Amino acid sequence: MASSTVVSVVPTQSVRWRFRAFFRDWKLVTGVAILLGLLLFGLVGPLVVSEEGTRLGAGEYSAPPSARHPLGTDSTGRDVLAMMVYGTRPTLRVGFLAGGIGILVGVILGLISGYYRGPVDTIIRSAADITLTIPALAVLVVLASFLRTTTVELMAVIVALFAWPWPTRTIRAQTLTLRESGFVSMSRLSGRNDLEILFLEILPNLLPFIMASFVSAVSGAILASVGLQLLGLGPILTPTLGLILQYAFEYAAIVRGMWWWWGPPTVFLMLLFIGLFLISMAMDEIANPRLKGAAE
Amino acid sequence: MAVRGVSFYVRAGETFGLVGESGSGKTTTDMAILRLIRPPARVEGGEIILGDTDLQRCSEEELRSLRWNRISLIPQGAMNSLNPVMRVKDQIGDAILTHEGRLPGKVLRERIIDLLHTVGLSPDVYNLYPHELSGGMKQRVCIAMAIALRPQLIIADEPTSALDVVVQRLVAETLKDVQKRLNAGLILIGHDMGLQAQMADRIGVMYKGQFVEVGPVRAIFKNPVHPYTRLLISSIPSIKQKHQPPPAAAWEEIQQAGPQDEPGMQEVEPEHFVALSESIALGSAG
Repeated sequence: MASSTVVSVVPTQSVRWRFRAFFRDWKLVTGVAILLGLLLFGLVGPLVVSEEGTRLGAGEYSAPPSARHPLGTDSTGRDVLAMMVYGTRPTLRVGFLAGGIGILVGVILGLISGYYRGPVDTIIRSAADITLTIPALAVLVVLASFLRTTTVELMAVIVALFAWPWPTRTIRAQTLTLRESGFVSMSRLSGRNDLEILFLEILPNLLPFIMASFVSAVSGAILASVGLQLLGLGPILTPTLGLILQYAFEYAAIVRGMWWWWGPPTVFLMLLFIGLFLISMAMDEIANPRLKGAAE
Repeated sequence: MAVRGVSFYVRAGETFGLVGESGSGKTTTDMAILRLIRPPARVEGGEIILGDTDLQRCSEEELRSLRWNRISLIPQGAMNSLNPVMRVKDQIGDAILTHEGRLPGKVLRERIIDLLHTVGLSPDVYNLYPHELSGGMKQRVCIAMAIALRPQLIIADEPTSALDVVVQRLVAETLKDVQKRLNAGLILIGHDMGLQAQMADRIGVMYKGQFVEVGPVRAIFKNPVHPYTRLLISSIPSIKQKHQPPPAAAWEEIQQAGPQDEPGMQEVEPEHFVALSESIALGSAG
């Protein structure tokens, strides 16, 4: 009855293929390696280093690195290594929390704004643009000193206030393009309603952009939170890397030559930013294949 | 006016070929049938009757359940009509689920594989992404999507334009086969007269938004009355003689013949209608 031929097919994607593709990109590999290393430091460290070291007077005051205190102690006798180990997780938590909130808000607003257009779009877009032009740190300083950020979560929320505009703009731009594509028209034809189209058809196409934006947002959030803490406006009850630096500057560690106090946290943060930056560059290339050097 | 005075019918199991050059109003017509005309364009009047329903009087809600259920579209350029990040099974599955609510996984899977088989694709395609398929296969996936709910009327908008000849034949055969199985009406839009000759039962020729000739395919090819129809048919390349561009006089004849303010068709043969004006003498039908 059916005169047409049946076409046989061999799929090209496989787990091994994806694995190899991952390793081909040195930026991604290096960035993820750095991030994993730092993460491990913060997760495994507390199992190895005792929390006693973070108490005041745990060791001699202002002692340079020694066998007992591999990174020395600060001016109140706290073990620097211990503080770094226990401070990594809260630091990362602020970044991911603030970045996550920013992305969540950004994706929702961006999708709505780009898909529905009209007055809603104008309002959201203007709000995002205005927020982008406001000097974030200045406002953050005022807010933080006013609200007395006592917890990591509160600081994350404040930082997130300025993390949402950029993802909103990116996602909005992509949504604008995608809403005109053939498969969206087909979906509308075959009866899907707007929300289904937005979240089940358009959103999956945006995942590379969302990932790239997320990594950037996290990076920016950590930077902002450390900046706030250096000014003494962050939470003081929870140990974070920024807190170490805050006390280091308060107690004139640089002038006193206590490199083991201000050095390690700075290096750690530098590595963190480099790792996140490499990952976000790799993500950008995935999201925008035109950035790739040569066509593969 | 993009389209004026267009009136035709399609019977179940019959293929109606809508022919015309770019800009003649073919796509506007089928968009109008599907009630997809968007502002600033609008439909000013007329009826669109499917079975016993007048589509023109339906609300958006009713239309949404009608579309795909009783009337579906195979779009031009299937490459762009498939979501690049969704597998074939999900895209076809979603079309089915949207209209039929929840279905048990196995039932849905069997149905999709059955559809794939109907259009001549192997079950392997089930799990693939669109970019892993060739153009012909993508077009056939679109056909499978269009017939998933067994519609009464299928509108195929230039389904083979972007394909090479070999695949064109496969897709055309698939379409014909599918139509027979469903006993559905098929509106085949295109400008490939050769394909139309093979697939259509009746043909309507459009020019500048109006029908100039409508009739059974044999009658039109054997006995084209309207000068535009004659020009179209003469444009089919022949192996026997080198193609000559039409003389300027032919175009003048067409310009004089239409478009009309009061389009009216006259029956020159049984079922064969031509939009005539004084300048076309009945006697010129050869």
